[in-house]
Formats: sequence, C-alpha cells, structure tokens
Amino acid sequence: MKHVTISKLIGFGLVILLTASLVNAKGDDFGSVVKMIEQFYNVKHEGIPFLAKAGMKVVGTAAKIKGGTAKRLAEVGSIKLAVFEDQEFDGDLIKFRNSLNEALKQSWIPLVQTLSATDEEQSYIFVREQGNKFNVLVINIAQHEGTVVQATLSSKNLALLMKDPEGAGKNITNEATIIDQE
Amino acid sequence: MRLVFQRISIIPVLVVLLVIVSATAGHAQEPRIQMSHLDYLAAKATETVDVNIDERLVQIAIKVFSDKDPDEAQIKKLVAGLKGIYVKSFEFDADNQFSAADVDSIRNQLREPAWSRLVNVRSKRDSNVEVYVSLSGTSVNGLVVITSEARELTVVNIVGPVDLEKLAHLEGSLGIPDLGIEITKPKTKNEDQ
Repeated sequence: MKHVTISKLIGFGLVILLTASLVNAKGDDFGSVVKMIEQFYNVKHEGIPFLAKAGMKVVGTAAKIKGGTAKRLAEVGSIKLAVFEDQEFDGDLIKFRNSLNEALKQSWIPLVQTLSATDEEQSYIFVREQGNKFNVLVINIAQHEGTVVQATLSSKNLALLMKDPEGAGKNITNEATIIDQE
Repeated sequence: MRLVFQRISIIPVLVVLLVIVSATAGHAQEPRIQMSHLDYLAAKATETVDVNIDERLVQIAIKVFSDKDPDEAQIKKLVAGLKGIYVKSFEFDADNQFSAADVDSIRNQLREPAWSRLVNVRSKRDSNVEVYVSLSGTSVNGLVVITSEARELTVVNIVGPVDLEKLAHLEGSLGIPDLGIEITKPKTKNEDQ
C-alpha cells in the first residue's frame, strides 16, 4: 500500500516536472515580460485577451474607419497584448533593460532598443524564429503608460520590420492597440 | 617505462603547439569590439539607440529579404557574409556629456597591426569621423566607425567582409543611423598643381 502511494507520488511529481518543462519549452515569455514589468515598476497591466484574439480583421476594419494607411504586419489572431495605463513607471532604465535582456536572451534576439533617459521612454524589439514564421516582441514604456505586444509575422513582414525597425515596431503596436482606441 | 618517457617528451611539444594555436586563434579573432562600457551614458542621453544584428539575425535577414524587391535585394547582397552589425548611438541635450576617455576606450581596441585607420574619410555633417578597418590577409573582415559631435556619439561595428561603400548603402536600414560618411579621393599630382 505504502509502495503504491510512493509510486503515485513519484508519478505525480514527474507529471508536474514534465508539465513545467513543457511550459518552459513553449516559453511564454510574453507573460514573463508582463510580470517582470509589473514587479520592476510596481504597476498593473490590463489584458485585452478577447479583443486581441478577435483577430486582425477587426483591426483592418478599424483602420479603414479611421482612414489609416498603416500596413498590416501581424498574422491574423496572433497578437498578445498587455496595456499599462495611468501608471508610474519610475525606475532605473538601464537596470530594467539589463534585466529584460537577461530574461530573454535564451530564446529571443534583440533587434533594436531605444531609450530616452530625459523623456523616460524605452522601446525594445525582440525577434525569434517559429517554424517558417517569426515572433516579434515589442515593448514600449513611457512615463505613465506601456504596452507589450507579441505577434507572429510572415517572413515578408519581418523583412519590413528589419528594414525599418522603429517604424514597423510602431505599426505593430498600433495594430494591437487600435482596437482599444475604437 | 619507455612509453612513459615518450609521453613526457610529448608534453612540451603539445604545450608549444597549444601556444601556437592559441596565438593564431587570437590573431584570427573576430573583429567585434566591446561597447557595453558606454552603456552608462544612456542614463543622461536624450536618446540611446542600440542595434544588435548578430549572425543569427543576419541569416534571418538573408532568408527573409526578397530578391524581387530592389531595396531588399540590395540589403540582402550587402549583409551576405556579415557576422554582425552593432550600433550604439547617444544623443544629449547638453555639451560634454561624454568624455575623451569614452572615445579612447573604443580607440584603444583598434590598435595596429590588427586595425588600420582610414584617412580619406570625412563627415558630410560637422562631426568628427574615424573609420578603422580590420584586415585578414588582404581582405577586410571588420569595420568600426566612431562619429562624435558636441552632443552626439555613435559607434558602429560591422563584423565580416565589409567596406565603406557597403556601409553607406546600409545607412538608414536595419536600424543603422545616417552617419553622413563621405569618402574623399586622394588628390593626384595634377590636381595639386
């Protein structure tokens, strides 16, 4: 009886370990980055999972309504978005950048990072391969607001991002947040 | 016993070989320079731009840039063979925010014989520009550009076969800032007269 219980416990432990490693392998870095920002700056995000999952069709329509000409970059339904509004992002920019780079260095490649100490603004673009497509992680933090966007891009749109990282990074953030503005 | 002596006599030879291999490896080291010590400047800069296009991203760029699009085809051709493009750029809202020691910390890594400074280069803008190339045999395998103004400091390091013309074409793409580099032709005797 005791033997069975121990076996069950070991089995249960193994399942937990396996699940944990699978989750880790999948690498939900989006969630980790959001959590990291929350802990570092003592802020709280507002997730918009439903709207983000609604896909880029909505964004396309919204862009048309707004008369926008922004090129759609993200793959349909691939956007993960976390928004920080009316919060105080008061902290050491360099320390945050170092922590972020350290946390993502295993699975993401930093493309461009811009900081402004005087305006207290930061933006980061990370890229990683996912099969024949690419994931992009765009993080923007200003004094009182921030966004974290993860999206999947086709190779064609990654080329656009690489050609003009700043412009395309802004486009991706706009695509993700335009729903919120409507 | 004889075998033991044979082994002992081999050790010094191995040590010498190791030293030679290490020295060769050191000489053939990739011309990537250290720039992270400049990071402290970001704390007082109005804008800091950090571009890190490592070999993985270069490979991705080659994969994703189209041959049909003339712009992309050109960038693809330019980055082919490169092992990395690294840029650190700082802009300040006041003078003297970076010191000569900051620039020297980069210059000190660019010593001869591995690095040579190009003299026929100037800036289209009012900035000091220094260009250094790393040579492997007769071919360039690395390039460093330092541009400095009263309120701006930019360091570009390209690892791999590159020349100034290539860099000039890459300006404005891949996050590389517009450096305003101009290659001046050396004057001929006739022009001097």
